[in-house]
Amino acid sequence: MGIFDKILGGNTLYYPGCLTKFVAKDLKENYEKILRSLGIDFIELSEIEVCCGSPVLKAGYADDFKNLAEKNLKIFKEHSVKKIITNCPACFLVFKKTYQEFLKEKWDIQVEHISQTIHSEIKNQKPKIIIQNHEIKKITYHDPCHLGRQMGVYEEPREVIQSLGYEIVEMELNRLDSFCCGAGGGIQTNEPKLADKIAKDRISQAKKTETKMLITTCPLCYLHLQKNAQDELLVQELSQLFKNND
Amino acid sequence: MINERQFLDNQTKTALWQIVLDYRQKREKSLLKNDLERERFREELFQIKESSLSQINQLSEKAIHNLQSNGITVFKSKDDEEARQIIEKILKDKKKIIKAKTNAYLEIENQDFLKDKEIIETDLGDFLVQLLEEKEIHPVLPALHLTPEKISQKIKEKFNIDLKSQPEKIAAFARNYLRKKILTAEAGISGANAITSDGKILILENEGNISLVSRWPETHIIVAGFEKIVPHLEEALKVIQASAIWGTGQDFPVYVSIISGPSKTSDIQNQTIIGAQGAKEVFLVLIDNGRSRLIEEGFAELLFCINCGACLDFCPVYHQIGSNYGDKYLGSKGVIFSAFAQDFRQAVEANCFACTLCSSCYENCPMKINLPELMKKLRSYLTKENLQTEENQKMIEKIRQFGNPFGKIEEGQTPKELYCC
Repeated sequence: MGIFDKILGGNTLYYPGCLTKFVAKDLKENYEKILRSLGIDFIELSEIEVCCGSPVLKAGYADDFKNLAEKNLKIFKEHSVKKIITNCPACFLVFKKTYQEFLKEKWDIQVEHISQTIHSEIKNQKPKIIIQNHEIKKITYHDPCHLGRQMGVYEEPREVIQSLGYEIVEMELNRLDSFCCGAGGGIQTNEPKLADKIAKDRISQAKKTETKMLITTCPLCYLHLQKNAQDELLVQELSQLFKNND
Repeated sequence: MINERQFLDNQTKTALWQIVLDYRQKREKSLLKNDLERERFREELFQIKESSLSQINQLSEKAIHNLQSNGITVFKSKDDEEARQIIEKILKDKKKIIKAKTNAYLEIENQDFLKDKEIIETDLGDFLVQLLEEKEIHPVLPALHLTPEKISQKIKEKFNIDLKSQPEKIAAFARNYLRKKILTAEAGISGANAITSDGKILILENEGNISLVSRWPETHIIVAGFEKIVPHLEEALKVIQASAIWGTGQDFPVYVSIISGPSKTSDIQNQTIIGAQGAKEVFLVLIDNGRSRLIEEGFAELLFCINCGACLDFCPVYHQIGSNYGDKYLGSKGVIFSAFAQDFRQAVEANCFACTLCSSCYENCPMKINLPELMKKLRSYLTKENLQTEENQKMIEKIRQFGNPFGKIEEGQTPKELYCC
């Protein structure tokens, strides 16, 4: 992006979301590298931006959610943000769908899930990123509820995974019928036992595909399924399939 | 919080999975057989219910007027207690009652209700649940957790008959046993799947027991929520079709009774005599029990529900705790309903804060009820009433202070409590 485009078109913000920023920090580093090697010019607002509000709204604090949305919009405007790229499906859903329902001011920021960004870049150019050398080539893909069923993003992540040389063996419950990983809605902390049991069900559904690796595109699904898979299955987040050659 | 005893055992879990996956296939086949395009049909059903509920007062008045002029006695009850009183009064001198599957009855009953009478469940699933003194686990298949071995053993203990764990023999035993009970019953109780404003009550079934419950005894009592009312037969039959497709994966139920009054004859000199071979008196108890409040508080969509149970099919919570998720009705619907039929505290008990908001219920609902949105709205009501969980309270304090759900994080540290999304 040239300097004039940047002034006229505004900034592209990479918004990792709280979970990626504070917990799954390696994913954040992976995505920064991936975006850079795709030649995407982006800014980050690490300490400045606040939580998107997804956990807040789901727990039932609608007023707090509105506050967060207003705060974020103000911050984004101050930094001339015209586009947000996020790897968190919950942030993606909230920015793309929910903010406009709560904000009085107009929300005209373009929002993309990072799998969509990578998908369109891979189509346009051969990126300078190479595939992580996993010995496993047959994998299964877990659709995060917020990305799939709630936002209709099913094919982009699959096509990115396939373009990296993996063969996807689908679980019986996929896409629209995908089964929840068990971590959403605040139940990971409110009902931890229940959350674990649900994840174990999803893991056994994945094991029926007879693949040895499950890939997902959500930091929460990733952390939660990984914790519950133990040694039964390798759980990876999309960015972990890439390796930067710098 | 959910306790260890509330989780389903592995055997029940496996049985549940087999059934819901089988239903999914059957449902798709039934839609094909009926030349129905899934999304278009769902939209049509949504419109039917939305339009009916938006004019429910007029429709209800019209329905009551027409049903009464057909000879059906209609009672309106504001809550469960009033509904019980009405039914107790109708059944005052009757002792032997047969019952069909009805969710509305389950909604209004309590421990002491009709305790002085012999009440026999005639739906096979309900009969088995009653016989084994178990709890229903599914609105359409209440006994799906009971194996033929378990049932057979109980029948042997109770009646000294060995059915050798064979499902056909169990069904034949129930047929004989129930027929004797039906023959001497003084009243029958059923629900309704749809009621039309021009005065018809529709009840669907496969087993044939409802036909007997509604026709054999002298008295037939129908219990139903007022949201069952639609304008005409055309809309009512669409509701019936959806109930079959999403309830059991059938293209149409085996029987649909359309009842427009007590049985009658004019065969003797054209003089109308009420009470021929079917019921002599028919009562309809229309219940509110929180429904008007649901509408007032912005939850009208919940009343689009036809009780098919498809919302439970891929519900991650239901697959772990079964009927412990919900209240009188199961799943997310049951949680929300309990908040208004009883109180907000009951919704917490029904595990309102266990829902993962994954939206599979919404996706599977033939009526397109946006249950996760309603659940979020209910949580905001509970939170305002200070019924939030401790964990949520911790989370919101951190958000208010630090702008993230984990709190203050030092450089290089990772938070231990992962409240998110």
